[in-house]
Amino acid sequence: MSSDSSSTSGDEFTNPNPNPNSTSKPLEDQFASAALTQPNNEPPEIQESPNGVVNGSVGENNHGEVESNEREGEVGSNLEARQSVRWRRTNSEVEVEAPSSPSSSGYAGERGSSSGSGSSGGFDMIGGGIGGGDDDEIQEVSNVDSIQDSQASWMPGKRHVDEDDASLSWRKRKKHFFILSNSGKPIYSRYGDEHKLAGFSATLQAIISFVENGGDRVKLVRAGNHQVVFLVKGPIYLVCISCTEEPYESLRGQLELIYGQMLLILTKSVNRCFEKNPKFDMTPLLGGTDVVFSSLIHSFSWNPATFLHAYTCLPLAYATRQAAGAILQDVADSGVLFAILMCKHKVISLVGAQKASLHPDDMLLLANFVMSSESFRTSESFSPICLPRYNPMAFLYAYVHYLDVDTYLMLLTTSSDAFYHLKDCRIRIEMVLLKSNVLSEVQRSMLDGGMHVEDLPTDPLPRSGTLSPHLGQPRDSLESFKEPFVGIGGPAGLWHLCTVVYFWINMYLLSSHHQLIAHVNRKDYIGLTRTFMLPCMI
Amino acid sequence: MGCSSSLPDRSSGQLAGLNSENGGVSDAKNLRVKLVLLGDSGVGKSCIVLRFVRGQFDPTSKVTVGASFLSQTIALQDSTTVKFEIWDTAGQERYAALAPLYYRGAAVAVVVYDITSPESFAKAQYWVKELQKHGNPDIVMALVGNKADLNEKREVPVQDGIDYAEKNGMFFIETSAKTADNINQLFEEIAKRLPRPASS
Ligand SMILES: Nc1nc2c(ncn2[C@@H]2O[C@H](COP(=O)(O)OP(=O)(O)OP(=O)(O)O)[C@@H](O)[C@H]2O)c(=O)[nH]1
Ligand SMILES: [Mg+2]
Repeated sequence: MSSDSSSTSGDEFTNPNPNPNSTSKPLEDQFASAALTQPNNEPPEIQESPNGVVNGSVGENNHGEVESNEREGEVGSNLEARQSVRWRRTNSEVEVEAPSSPSSSGYAGERGSSSGSGSSGGFDMIGGGIGGGDDDEIQEVSNVDSIQDSQASWMPGKRHVDEDDASLSWRKRKKHFFILSNSGKPIYSRYGDEHKLAGFSATLQAIISFVENGGDRVKLVRAGNHQVVFLVKGPIYLVCISCTEEPYESLRGQLELIYGQMLLILTKSVNRCFEKNPKFDMTPLLGGTDVVFSSLIHSFSWNPATFLHAYTCLPLAYATRQAAGAILQDVADSGVLFAILMCKHKVISLVGAQKASLHPDDMLLLANFVMSSESFRTSESFSPICLPRYNPMAFLYAYVHYLDVDTYLMLLTTSSDAFYHLKDCRIRIEMVLLKSNVLSEVQRSMLDGGMHVEDLPTDPLPRSGTLSPHLGQPRDSLESFKEPFVGIGGPAGLWHLCTVVYFWINMYLLSSHHQLIAHVNRKDYIGLTRTFMLPCMI
Repeated sequence: MGCSSSLPDRSSGQLAGLNSENGGVSDAKNLRVKLVLLGDSGVGKSCIVLRFVRGQFDPTSKVTVGASFLSQTIALQDSTTVKFEIWDTAGQERYAALAPLYYRGAAVAVVVYDITSPESFAKAQYWVKELQKHGNPDIVMALVGNKADLNEKREVPVQDGIDYAEKNGMFFIETSAKTADNINQLFEEIAKRLPRPASS
């Protein structure tokens, strides 16, 4: 009898008892402290390791690396003697007594044999060759259309399951993501079969605990073109190994989102499983969720919401959005915690019960979960989900229903018995949306392809001129980004917001050092979004 | 083909309310029953439901999240109708603890296994025991061996299914959502076994 599998987790996930105010605090605190420790470009605590700690793939040098271009998949592998390993630490100014070579610290044996890349054990860097044409790289995106292309051509699901850390192809992947437990058990790997990566996971775990045993925390290891970013969340470790040249902060933010996605599926109460049994194998609990993670990871390369901590709104006429908002509000007043109407990843309207506020990251994770789980499309569903920024400890219940191919309604509640009530709410909402033509307006807006950069006026005040077919606003060029901004209300404010956001998105996507993003004027942004009833928290 | 999906189910929407939680019986001629499907992930629960409700079979796997709700009405020979309100639950382990939410108050439980997988048969027995312990005592239970089209890969003998069902007072049938074999029969047989409300 295989009842054991289901009973192990039996009591862990039954507590539908959210207490957002008290329990969500710790996570917020963590985020706050994460923000405080964000390092500068050039951290003082860099140590050049004279003999090159990383031993992988010596000899596959690409001397043309000055010209190297990650978009073309030509990241050079200059894992030569002059490479440095940088240990960035959280709480000490002291130079790290970086291990002269991890292989000397005894965990090299965990790894399987090395393949043709000439590694000599120890912590082999992944890659070190010319990356194969991968799907996750930041494309040169000059307009919204190509973003959409990259969405359309991407197929969800895990690929390359046959690979493991001994495969050359696996090592050449440009961006790996791992989730593992603090006992070194693999939980998720972007590429390859988790179970085959047990040795590699153990190595990652060894690095983390080696530093932790010294009373410190490892955040980033730089080795040649590769960055290894670590994030520790209680018993869960998250690691990104990347040669995409994204800054540390971005990669760390991506790990935070991956962790949030995991919480959305399981809540933080999984931690208790590890308290009971440190060797607990979590992979069965995430069964069938590969697509959820792979589509989130894919969205890092096309969806600006993943780094802006703001969500994308579907452009709609004021009256249309009002109509949608009114009926959602009606429903929220009847005891629904959040009522969210979305089209793909874009928000049509969103209403929360009094005092409840939905963090844009939670929205992103929820939308990603719903869109990547095909079964929601077949019929109306009722599923437990956790909003990590709202309350990471408890499940909410989500009623999900697709109103048409791309448009879906999510009604969240704390009550596990509310299905029939939510179903009634949906029927009411659907009727109103059909009557007031909201759904057809939504489809039209989607066909228009959302907002285009050229729709944005240079002048905050609408003026006469050619009207854009999309927004009924004058078209103009993009010259005047530097123009001072006058006031935050009305359409002018919205244009300014869009302008700023799109400008920075484009800058972000085009720049190789994506630091520019940090310069968005946060005050403007928050003020504006408040004005427009669609809160964005940064 | 009686493929009224649950989507345009507007007329009954107002009725649905919480009384559906009681496995609501409406009247002697028109029954409404809450039915829950349980079983390991991948045995074909969703495929069985979609075959029954929409007459479709989609071989691409769509792991169920939480539970899906669908409904379908069938007419019996004695001119009664039975409206099944179906909870297609997720077989993934993380949702096991939520099963009571869906089987509570259910009049019918359909426990499904895959005839090519002994593990799924063991899991089916787990569900039967759980229902006996915590389910509605009058619940009508069916044991379903699905993927009967894969007979050459069979690992659970028909007789094992028959024996186990008999011992536990269940109705037994082997089905194939792929070929539609025995799918309608499954639901018709269940309908026949439902306790009829005393007609007033
Ligand atoms: N050959 C064959 N394959 C089937 C049959 N029924 C389902 N399948 C296949 O089995 C796989 C799983 O079917 P689902 O209906 O999604 O399984 P499920 O029981 O709903 O799984 P969960 O939702 O995870 O609990 C699908 O890929 C189907 O193609 C069948 O009768 N014959
Ligand atoms: Mg299913």
